[in-house]
Amino acid sequence: MSVFLMIRVFHMTTGWQVGCCGCCSALRPRYKRLVDNIFPASPQDGLVKTNMEKLMFYSLSSPEKLDRIGEYLFQKVSRDIYRRRHGYVIIAAEAMDQLLLACHAQTLNLFVESFLKMVQKLLESTDPQLQILATQSFVRFANIEEDTPSYHRRYDFFVSKFSSMCHSNHSDKKMRDRIRLAGIQGLQGVIRKTVSDDLVENIWEAQHMDKIVPSLLYNIQTAEKYITVECLEPESSEVEEPSRLAEACLRELVGRASFGHIRSVLRPVLTHFDRHELWVPNDFAVHVFKIIMYSIQAQYSYSVVEALMLHLESRAGCGAGAGGVRAARANVLTHIVAIAAGDSVGPSVLEIINNLLTNLRTSVDRDSDKDEKLYQEALINALGEFSDHLPDFQKIDIMMFIVSKIPQQRGKGSKQDETLQTILLKSLLKVGLTYRTTELNRAFPFAFLESLLRLSQSSSPRTRELLQRILHTLLDRHDNATRLASPEINYSQLGLSVEKCSRSDLIFINKHGFAIYSSLYEGLQLESNRVSNMSSIYTSAALLCCEVASDESAPDLLQLILSIQNSALTNPVLTRAQKCQLHAIVISLLALLPHCMHLPRLAEYAQKIIENRREEAYELLPPLREDYGDVQSPNKLPYLMVDQMTVIECVAAHGVDTSRLSAPSPYGAGARRPPAKHSWIEAGATQGRDSLADITAGGAAELDSGNSSPQAARCSPCLEPLDDEYMKFYDRYNRGLRTTMQSFGLYHQNNTEAISLESLRRAAGGPTEAERREAERKRGELNNTFRTRPFDQLLHATMPKYELKEKLEEIFNSISECPLLPAASPNKPPALDTYFPELFMY
Amino acid sequence: MEDYKFLFKVVLVGNAGVGKTCLVRRFTQGLFPPGQGATIGVDFMIKTVEVDGEKVKLQIWDTAGQERFRSITQSYYRSAHALILVYDISCQPTFDCLPDWLREIEEYANNKVLRILVGNKTDREDREIPRHIGSDFAQRHGMYFLETSAKEAENVERLFMEIALELMEQAKCKELPKYDGSLGPINGKTTSVGDSSCCNRS
Repeated sequence: MSVFLMIRVFHMTTGWQVGCCGCCSALRPRYKRLVDNIFPASPQDGLVKTNMEKLMFYSLSSPEKLDRIGEYLFQKVSRDIYRRRHGYVIIAAEAMDQLLLACHAQTLNLFVESFLKMVQKLLESTDPQLQILATQSFVRFANIEEDTPSYHRRYDFFVSKFSSMCHSNHSDKKMRDRIRLAGIQGLQGVIRKTVSDDLVENIWEAQHMDKIVPSLLYNIQTAEKYITVECLEPESSEVEEPSRLAEACLRELVGRASFGHIRSVLRPVLTHFDRHELWVPNDFAVHVFKIIMYSIQAQYSYSVVEALMLHLESRAGCGAGAGGVRAARANVLTHIVAIAAGDSVGPSVLEIINNLLTNLRTSVDRDSDKDEKLYQEALINALGEFSDHLPDFQKIDIMMFIVSKIPQQRGKGSKQDETLQTILLKSLLKVGLTYRTTELNRAFPFAFLESLLRLSQSSSPRTRELLQRILHTLLDRHDNATRLASPEINYSQLGLSVEKCSRSDLIFINKHGFAIYSSLYEGLQLESNRVSNMSSIYTSAALLCCEVASDESAPDLLQLILSIQNSALTNPVLTRAQKCQLHAIVISLLALLPHCMHLPRLAEYAQKIIENRREEAYELLPPLREDYGDVQSPNKLPYLMVDQMTVIECVAAHGVDTSRLSAPSPYGAGARRPPAKHSWIEAGATQGRDSLADITAGGAAELDSGNSSPQAARCSPCLEPLDDEYMKFYDRYNRGLRTTMQSFGLYHQNNTEAISLESLRRAAGGPTEAERREAERKRGELNNTFRTRPFDQLLHATMPKYELKEKLEEIFNSISECPLLPAASPNKPPALDTYFPELFMY
Repeated sequence: MEDYKFLFKVVLVGNAGVGKTCLVRRFTQGLFPPGQGATIGVDFMIKTVEVDGEKVKLQIWDTAGQERFRSITQSYYRSAHALILVYDISCQPTFDCLPDWLREIEEYANNKVLRILVGNKTDREDREIPRHIGSDFAQRHGMYFLETSAKEAENVERLFMEIALELMEQAKCKELPKYDGSLGPINGKTTSVGDSSCCNRS
């Protein structure tokens, strides 16, 4: 007894425990007593609340004791787990939780160590209840934001164990779901805890992602059906299916991934699909990839597309049906590229396209079986889907890019080349279908048009037909293509929609019309043409009619029609059937033209020929047939043919300029103009005109959009001059008088040919109509500038820079003469004589 | 009172149905579950044993044999101290797959991991792989070899005890940091236990 008292006294004086036997609670340190007191006599009674409050108060007032408290609690938990006294384990865990939440951030670190040890201890137990309890504690901990990093803390075990729980195979389904849910929650906790803090474990490392991602996917795939939504509604914290929680967790993970980490998430995803053979059928893959696309930070969505694209050809997980798997992957790609398109910019767009094209090429090199075809289809669809979501100007870029990848056939190309060509044209068509043409000059940049027209002379009929279909989609702004699919003579029933041709389109067709027409013409002359080739060229010509028919373009169109008829009569290589088909096309186009513009007399004339043919030469009328068996050779009786002179009369009556019509056909060999083969190389050289035309086109478009402006109405009678001018320019050009930039705007003044009152009057009209209107638009603004700005500035602004000078001259030139308009007289001095000095008199 | 001196991670691999889960159950819980279903993903068990008076805690990760879970199971190889490669002595295909497994171990596990080849199901009458074939294979590839029967509890205890002993000796010989209470494992590098020169490979 005295010994006991002595010890007791010793304790009371020092207040410190010195390796005491601990047989009496009074001898134990205060924190141990406080901890012991929170446990009730019987575990059913639960935590002793009042004593817990005392413990909390103590730990808050002396935080330096926290680590000991934690350690002691942990020891109690370990012992209780070992002795299977689960009631006490639960109480201890609850106490740990409360302490954890009560701790201040600065002191937390001291306590967390023991806390996590406890959680691990609970997780190591085989009892699912304790595992779930552990997870709940861990999640609570994970939601605390610590401000002191803990370098030595490791989550390796937790990731491993939680992932294992996600795959629980407990015999009781309810319990199994609870364990899986706990596993997912645990993973979510680890992610939250680590992702924002660079100093702790790097959760993005492969060893973790390889566990986390498959665990989540495995749970998502257990859902009965996959409903993909763009954004999950805020989770209802209570009872959830593992699949939903796993999805939310995946979204969170992907959403937090920075650029460098995306790949570490995607790699296990792709591997999982390979391993679990989830590509075919691919609804789950689509589901998951959409989830990823919706939750990823928008600027990185491109890398998902990239990763999937790189995986397209991967051999992994293919088994026997490699082609099928590839097709399925490409199909998934189709579903997600659209989501990425919105956020892709510049290089990444072209890179995606380039990748797709490369894959197509690889595919072409393989044996083509059914699956391979499916794969190609899927890739092309992906291409289409992607470009569908890009702005229009990028679509043109893409089309030009695709065109540049098409192998140019010289002579007899290899079979693979041909297949590739076909496939690329299909892709081009797919992209073209997504493009909404507004202005022709935007839809057909020169280089693009050039490549297209070159391909239209390909030796493969299939290629030519595809090419024409591309032209159709790009030309057809009023949905007439299906109605004009094959030659027709009763247009009134078709319900064609025709709009007045805009200025910019006219300029376009004046510039490039000849190249297009002659390519159509040449296209019709080929021996290998099938009916489908014939009708597709017809469709292109007919669509052109609908889109650009006007007084100005009518002569060209008529000339094309007449030339085609001429070729049907004279071209020796054509078969009988082809000749008949050409005649049918001729009459169809002739009947179409009056439908697109006001030419009643021409309509009458066409109708008359149709009547005649109906009676005597049915074979010269549409529809086109493969076989004209009974017909010996097409009837050539004059009254069955379209007569040039009559046509001229008919259109002249409506004020269409017919001077060109009376000339011999410009198309084909021996024509007045250069043969079509070169024609458009030279047309390319006329690009000198482009800069001017572009300016005028821009201006004209603006004006035309404001259709109500009086100018637009006023200028309609003067449409011809431009056309004529262009022709003259063309002639002059072909004689080798290359127009230089400086004198360009004035070429008509040097033009001494065909002097007539008419042409003089036109010449005096000054620059082209479009130029004039452009000038009008700028005139006010410029006048103003010159009036208000100081002289020095003006001088500076008008320093003779090359282009600037030229443009200024152009503009000044119009300014000075504009007030005189429209009463310009033929003997008016050349516009350039008015020079700066006059202007500065303002 | 973290009552162990060493912590080792042991991973079981091998074809589906060779009895990995049964081995673990027999060892950790002393029972043989009849009609054990296929493992999904990875299972986890813990057992503390005493070797030479030292407490050694074994973290046992029991992986699914099915092909489709291979990607997740591979991720567990990396931090393992010992890999138990199991085949079924009454099933030739499970033995034929061993080279594939070795390749996988080569690729994903630490190259100094302790590898043990186990022919399970010695209780079966219909043995297809004679003992010496298995033992030869193990020798060729520098692995320990043991034949066990989870059903008859034959050699199961011995298997894990020898692993614990071997790992402990390696740990001592290499003066490895002890797993005394610090959370989780030290990553693969530092736990790379001894090279073969210091261990008596059979």
